[in-house]
Amino acid sequence: MLRPLIVSFREGVAYRAKGNLLWLLHRISGLGIVVFLGFHIFGMSMAAFNPALHERALELYKTPPFAIGELLLAFLLIFHAVNGTRIAILELRPQLWEKQELATRLSLIITALLTAPTLAIMAYKSISHFLAH
Amino acid sequence: MTTTTLSQGRTVRKIQPLQGQARFERAMWLFMRYSGLALVFLALSHFWVQHLLIGTHAITTAQTVVFWGAQGQPITLGNVLFRSYYAVMLVLAVVHGINGVRQVAYDYFGHRPAIYKGLMTLVVAIATVISLGGLLALVLGAQASSEVAIR
Repeated sequence: MLRPLIVSFREGVAYRAKGNLLWLLHRISGLGIVVFLGFHIFGMSMAAFNPALHERALELYKTPPFAIGELLLAFLLIFHAVNGTRIAILELRPQLWEKQELATRLSLIITALLTAPTLAIMAYKSISHFLAH
Repeated sequence: MTTTTLSQGRTVRKIQPLQGQARFERAMWLFMRYSGLALVFLALSHFWVQHLLIGTHAITTAQTVVFWGAQGQPITLGNVLFRSYYAVMLVLAVVHGINGVRQVAYDYFGHRPAIYKGLMTLVVAIATVISLGGLLALVLGAQASSEVAIR
């Protein structure tokens, strides 16, 4: 049952075209976000149904493992958003297809430009919180 | 495809409208692009407000109550705006997410209908329960627990 997944992953990585790696990362980031989204919506709904559980979920997000997971989430979310914008614009405007190499490069550059300060600020906030407590 | 010849001699091609599954796939293809573009603004603004401006370590139950409005209390315009913003984002993100999972599942398990259908039934069932719960929570508002002071 896992074989198609393993083969697809291996082939996806082995085929070294840039766009293909972005395709793989778009897929992995999307799946990661959707799993988080399920837990996140559940945790937030508890504000209406079970405030104690909501409180515990918020406390859990403030622990070191989740602080690291949060940095990963930030990268996945920003990458998925920027790369998704590239896909949407190119597919809705086929006359731009001849510029797809530029688009690929731009989506990586914009991802890096948005991710770097986000991760820096989040890491700074987390570290100063853990040092103070 | 049918063709009709107009009186001026121009030929107009009439494309048959898509039907059934193909029509659904086309609608979902468009939905993924447009909801994605909307979610770029909705999800990133949400993420940056909560994690950069406020910061995870400063997020409290009291803040949720202030943003959403408390159950049994009169709601403000701000509460209505917050709840609508989250309701729109929730619906777009959940449908976008389910369809993404569906495409991935079809890629790997499309040739095994039993696994594919079983997996998707499970995903849709879980997503329906969670997202209806989330929408109901947004309609009801936050419950102010005893230790949370309302100002």
